[in-house]
Amino acid sequence: MATISRPAPALPAQATRAARPRWGARLAPYGYLAPFFVLFAAFGLFPLLYTAYVSLHRVELQTADRMDWLGLQNYTRLFEDPFFWNALRNTFTIGVLSTVPQLLLALGLAHLLNYRLRGRTFFRVAMLMPYATSVAAATLVFAQLFGRDYGLINWVLAGVGLSPVDWQADTWASQFGVSAIVTWRWTGYNALIYLAGMQAIPGELYESAAMDGASRWQQFRHVTVPGLRPTIIFTVVVSTIGASQLFGEPLLYEGNAGGGISHQYQTLGLYMYEQGWSFFHLGRAAAVAWVMFLLIVVLALINAAIAARRNRTDR
Amino acid sequence: MRPFRARRTTAAVGSAALAATMLLTACSSGTAGSKDNAGGDGKVTLTIDLFGTFGFKETGLYDEYMAAHPNITIKQTDTQDEGQYWQALQTKLAGGGGLADIQGLEVGRIASVVQKQADKFADLKTLGLGGVNDDLVPWKGAAVRTADGKVLGAGTDIGPEAICFRTDLFKAAGLPTDRTELAAKWSSWDGYLALGKQYVTKAAGGSAPEGNKWTDSAAGMFTAEVGQEKVRYADESGKPVYDKSPAVQTAWANSTKLVADGLSAKLPQWTPEWNKAFSTGKFATLSCPAWMIGYIKGQAGEAFAGKWDIAAGPGKTGNWGGSYLAIPRSSKHQKEAAELIKWLNAKEQQAKLFTKQGSFPSSTGAQAAIKTVKDPYFNNAPIGEIFSESAANMPAQVLGTDDGVIGKAFTDALGEVERTGTAPATAWQHALDNIKKASGN
Amino acid sequence: MKRSPLQGGPLAYAVLTAATLAFVFPFYWTLVAASRSNSELSAATPALTPGPNLFHNIGEALQQASIGTALLNSLLVSTAVTAGVVLSSTLAGFAFAKLRFRGRGLLLAVTVGTMMIPPQLGVIPLFMVIVKLDLQNKLPAVILPSLVSAFGVFFMRQFLIQALPDELIEAGRMDGASSLRIFRSIVLPVARPGMAVLGMLTFMATWNDFFWPIVALSSQNPTVQVALKSLGQGYVPDQSIIMAGTLLGTLPVLVVFGLLGRQIVGGIMQGAVKG
Repeated sequence: MATISRPAPALPAQATRAARPRWGARLAPYGYLAPFFVLFAAFGLFPLLYTAYVSLHRVELQTADRMDWLGLQNYTRLFEDPFFWNALRNTFTIGVLSTVPQLLLALGLAHLLNYRLRGRTFFRVAMLMPYATSVAAATLVFAQLFGRDYGLINWVLAGVGLSPVDWQADTWASQFGVSAIVTWRWTGYNALIYLAGMQAIPGELYESAAMDGASRWQQFRHVTVPGLRPTIIFTVVVSTIGASQLFGEPLLYEGNAGGGISHQYQTLGLYMYEQGWSFFHLGRAAAVAWVMFLLIVVLALINAAIAARRNRTDR
Repeated sequence: MRPFRARRTTAAVGSAALAATMLLTACSSGTAGSKDNAGGDGKVTLTIDLFGTFGFKETGLYDEYMAAHPNITIKQTDTQDEGQYWQALQTKLAGGGGLADIQGLEVGRIASVVQKQADKFADLKTLGLGGVNDDLVPWKGAAVRTADGKVLGAGTDIGPEAICFRTDLFKAAGLPTDRTELAAKWSSWDGYLALGKQYVTKAAGGSAPEGNKWTDSAAGMFTAEVGQEKVRYADESGKPVYDKSPAVQTAWANSTKLVADGLSAKLPQWTPEWNKAFSTGKFATLSCPAWMIGYIKGQAGEAFAGKWDIAAGPGKTGNWGGSYLAIPRSSKHQKEAAELIKWLNAKEQQAKLFTKQGSFPSSTGAQAAIKTVKDPYFNNAPIGEIFSESAANMPAQVLGTDDGVIGKAFTDALGEVERTGTAPATAWQHALDNIKKASGN
Repeated sequence: MKRSPLQGGPLAYAVLTAATLAFVFPFYWTLVAASRSNSELSAATPALTPGPNLFHNIGEALQQASIGTALLNSLLVSTAVTAGVVLSSTLAGFAFAKLRFRGRGLLLAVTVGTMMIPPQLGVIPLFMVIVKLDLQNKLPAVILPSLVSAFGVFFMRQFLIQALPDELIEAGRMDGASSLRIFRSIVLPVARPGMAVLGMLTFMATWNDFFWPIVALSSQNPTVQVALKSLGQGYVPDQSIIMAGTLLGTLPVLVVFGLLGRQIVGGIMQGAVKG
């Protein structure tokens, strides 16, 4: 708190003016960085390392100040727990179900938004509105729309002669339901990111493509998509990381940390929360957190490797 | 450049941050302060945090108490689902923040509190409530006493079981609606299932409203049936027996049969879908511990007055739920809280709670006073008589530390059976896995 | 931005309109559900237009789920966090963008690297810390850990690299201005648009923050998201009241969006090109 309210003290004070040129110039940069790094060390770095320490202990929520050394036992238990593998699998399938349609839709919408349009600001703002909504609010609304007996979606399905779907208990239907919330919230955001990328593509490229007789579709494929490659990689990385941490949507979909009646949409994030705050095993939850972190590092490395290889083959 | 203006901006942002932080610190300590403050005008705000429907508010007891004690203001918060309530309570107990002056505790959790968290709650003996449980049915009071004799909670209600049913739907399906006749027909769970089969056949034939099932869920039936035995999830020595106790085995077999026969509306209890089903009518019967009466009234509302009735259930007994009121050690108003608890648990208030809400008193004195109560909402059913008899036959239940967790695992597994068509054997295994995951260390 | 390659045809309008409807419908339906009664929501033919119960339901939501406290708390938390993040990020971002010092590359790499750290990772120690500090269920518990943001530093660095010419700083140095003075009178004015964008994004993100607040706070002293979580977990049985609470919790963000939507869109697109 104090650091925020007093950003300056680390900088040379008036009294030391004479010594400033030497010391000031050398120390000033660290003064600028201090507020950030002090708080960051306290609330970003320390927890990260301490989580690792906690994960090697038996710590229960009710007696949070007591830690009994366990070694790697929390981890071995984790890998023996079928619910962990189930959560990992769900995180992956829900990740695919939400990320792929989301990015494809976003790409298509961005393409349309890139046309000369009346009311384009309106379209852009409307598309970004879901992004401004909180996970909690969006999920509460969608959970109702997806209700089995009284939900609007099943009512529509019945109206067109289809049989109702159990959007909560059925494995694929519930995963689809959770993914729909993610897709709804993020499609517009990604569309705008793509749009920004498209606008950076020089118009001459399109003009010359048109001169060569390329159709709109061909222009999209051969001018737009290659030009967007860095942006696409960026959105894939961000969405993948987001998907690997998915938590709020599955928690509030039915309001239960179990992630469905057979844990059929329990993600890793939710599994961790359940361990810590439903079953009160903080040590085990810490182990899950570290596994999740390592998973993200692996994902990022894979992404980077793919990007690097793409770049090489392009040349 | 505009040095002056710029300087002002930095200063402004900096002081804004400072001000905001100070404001927040002030605010947070301020709220705590106002709660602590019993001085000055002597006003005290008592917070009371509950689950389900205790009925204090609905019965107007708070208003009555506040009228008699002008210096007291009572604020109640309430979570419908006890599972969610319990989790939140554990987090608060761990951190000591956000606890109310009075917390409700469910009977399935009481062994856990007594064994693991006795130091978190005030000993009611030290607050002049040493005798608060003397009048209760013996097991109820014993369950909340620690080995060294502390009294951690005051028993409110118990949950003697019966069956609630919809007379209008029964009539439409050509079933009898007379309580005694029904009680005889479903004197066993087999009889209950048989009658249910008759009901859904009629419903399918068009003589009862389509889509109406016999009961809300397999979970409801399971919990009711398992509650009829003395030993359920743990035996007297505290050893877990949930995977082989006859109580669980039989209840599981009957509940899965209920699903196989197509008698369940497959509604998960305590969810919005379940709540809504009360006002549309998706089921004809409901396993009814006494406190469920208040819940039905709250959810189904006036439109359904007179359409419900109540009869003695299979086995004519069983206990489902029931609660305690406890005072966290962190409460700043333990004396006032204790006085309120004492008053709420007095015979007169307990009798009133039963008459209006159906919460069946665990106090034997109050039980004597409510024997003749009838409930107009339930077709003037003699609820006093029905539940008194059920309570009289009630076994002295053995309570284990993980009862809440275990019960939830089994009802979740039954949900799997009815909603996803999972084979009962598979679901059974899931339940055991889940219990291991939740309770194992 | 100025040059659009092609004129949009009717098909483009049709698809975009359909997409817009899909994006907006859940908001509309929240309003519908919030203005009806529970039994109307469970009717065989669900209500599709707003009904008369809006204010009644809002009143109930305010009373039963402490949405009023939640709104105030969220406002306080988001304001404090936004101020903290914008200020600390501008300071650090400036240093990374324009100053030369030992360890710069390493520190920057650490900062950027930690952007990948999932928030879940810190939650358990943080929880243990606030339990120790007796901060549970108090607002500082959710403010303190959010006061700085690696993303914010990176964002301001990217912004200042482009927006702040080195010559300006040199000129300031020649005039003998102190380092602090240079920051105040040269950096800040230039940084202001970037700070505004970062501020908007931070405010929205903090308002919507979920994981840590539900661990640190409870329904006794909630932020909006904590209150909504309680609503979603059966704190209130009545669906129309839940939706009224959701509406109340979303409304402030939507109002901000209505007023500043264009700027937010601009900010995100700008950030995309830079980042």
